[in-house]
Amino acid sequence: MKTSTLPLHRWQPHPLGPCQLLLGALLVALVWSLSSGSLGISLPMLRGESSQNAWQVWWQLRVPRVMLGLCVGMLLSGSGAAMQGLFRNPLADPTLLGMASGAGLAVALWIVLIGGSSSAFGLYGQFLAGFSGAFVVGLLVFFIGARGQSASSLFTLLLAGLAINTLAGAGGGVLAFVASDEQLRQLSLWGMGSLANALWPPVIGLLICAPLALWGLYRSRHELDLLQLGELTAHGAGLDAPRLRRRVVLATALGVGISVALAGIIGFIGLLVPHCLRLWLGPSHRLLLPASMLGGAVLLVLADTLARSLAAPAELPVGLLTSLIGGPYFLWLLMRGRPSC
Amino acid sequence: MLTLNNAGFTQQPELLPFSDQVRPGELLAIVGPNGAGKSTLLSLLSGFRAPHTGQVCLDNISLTHWQRETLAARRAVVAQREQPVFDWRVKELATLGARASETEARHWMHEMDIAHLSSRFAPTLSGGELQRVMIVRALCQLAQTSGLSRLLLLDEPTSALDIGHQQALMRLLQRLTRQHAMAVVCVLHDINLALRFADRVWLMDQGQRIAAGHPDHVLNSSQLAKTYRVELEDIQQGNDRWLAIKR
Repeated sequence: MKTSTLPLHRWQPHPLGPCQLLLGALLVALVWSLSSGSLGISLPMLRGESSQNAWQVWWQLRVPRVMLGLCVGMLLSGSGAAMQGLFRNPLADPTLLGMASGAGLAVALWIVLIGGSSSAFGLYGQFLAGFSGAFVVGLLVFFIGARGQSASSLFTLLLAGLAINTLAGAGGGVLAFVASDEQLRQLSLWGMGSLANALWPPVIGLLICAPLALWGLYRSRHELDLLQLGELTAHGAGLDAPRLRRRVVLATALGVGISVALAGIIGFIGLLVPHCLRLWLGPSHRLLLPASMLGGAVLLVLADTLARSLAAPAELPVGLLTSLIGGPYFLWLLMRGRPSC
Repeated sequence: MLTLNNAGFTQQPELLPFSDQVRPGELLAIVGPNGAGKSTLLSLLSGFRAPHTGQVCLDNISLTHWQRETLAARRAVVAQREQPVFDWRVKELATLGARASETEARHWMHEMDIAHLSSRFAPTLSGGELQRVMIVRALCQLAQTSGLSRLLLLDEPTSALDIGHQQALMRLLQRLTRQHAMAVVCVLHDINLALRFADRVWLMDQGQRIAAGHPDHVLNSSQLAKTYRVELEDIQQGNDRWLAIKR
């Protein structure tokens, strides 16, 4: 046998370094986002004499919006990293299981059949419809595919998601066909994703649900690493794959469901951020999962601040901005020929 | 140590029930033609699949009743054809789910001749190199279980190895059984490796264990001619014996 004096270097990168860096970046992004916007309210202005109106605008509009960006970024990106690990597929993203399409269909039903934001329930109805749609689809996918014990149930899960995506797309198409011009505009705006409709009550609901979903994903980090060995070897190393599958699907259903309900479909956060961070930190979910959560929040908070600053007082939908960044990056990955990392 | 009590599997791929034991310090080879049920049997022995009839016990406790983490310290599995998707470095992959100290991990990496690959990415490895990495990972998983007998299950671990590494691996497995009282169960396609290194052989065919015992008794040309439907020549030279396909 050959021997080598090559050092093994450090076995794992220190887990706190990159996360501390991302936490710092998130704090900077939060401060920038809280102090910029079309009304130009800076943090020192809130202490001034004519601060009452500024405080109202800041507290009622900007703070919930930034909180929404923070939570949705963390949830989408964390779910993306977990889904890519669960399916052992670098192209998986949080919308894969059909939760976003389910929410989309429910919101389309709400806008076209009940009247959307002009109805008695206003925007709250839209949030509730979106969440119900995502939650029903999440449960459906869970009962179809996530209860199985065998490795093939992972494919069942994937196919169930695909079928639901197709069905919801067709349903959305039918509703778009019968919708009025105004309803079509509402639908397409929702589809582009935006943090503009942030109100405190649903954001408080999000602030309660998000830690639950994030904790479910974070707890799975070691098990997702083991799963990369393949199901038989991972089982031999102590992994309970069905339990992991159940936990990740439930956490993703909850996180993506509430995110899509409140902010619409924001593209590429769930795919782009884990990819970038995997290039930097390697594939271990021990570090990748918390870093993805922080990185997703940084990107979405920054993208939203740009979306409302670039063309102020008008606003770009943030989903459009993240897709404009994500699309070329994704094409670059494909052209590099190594989309795996 | 590992006991099969009338353990069988009734769904496809089917495995007819049988009873036997794997003892500490024993290198057991499972041989047989493609589709004979070798991998199904290995998945029952590892606890990945629960038997439909009977039970598989480790230290007289059914595998289904063991706590996963405790069992993982006593039993490790090397599956065939597992290819990590993401860019794991060899040193990360070799210590995934492992209990070994860095010194011990380094020792096994030297033993399996992968220390010089430690900074390489797994997708850039050849099949044989990856197979050696996965064997090191299993050995690192079983480290630091002092005093308790351990079980290593390997599914065709030599299938992608060159003859030099095949010999080195089989010698290592033999040493693990002799010096560390480990029980090793190894699915093999190379009859001559089983003949040369195994303490005992289970011969499988069509979902049934058709023979079990010392390699010299089980792996004879007439038995294998019936099982593999191929004419073999039994060659004896001094203490060495091997089988060759007749021209």
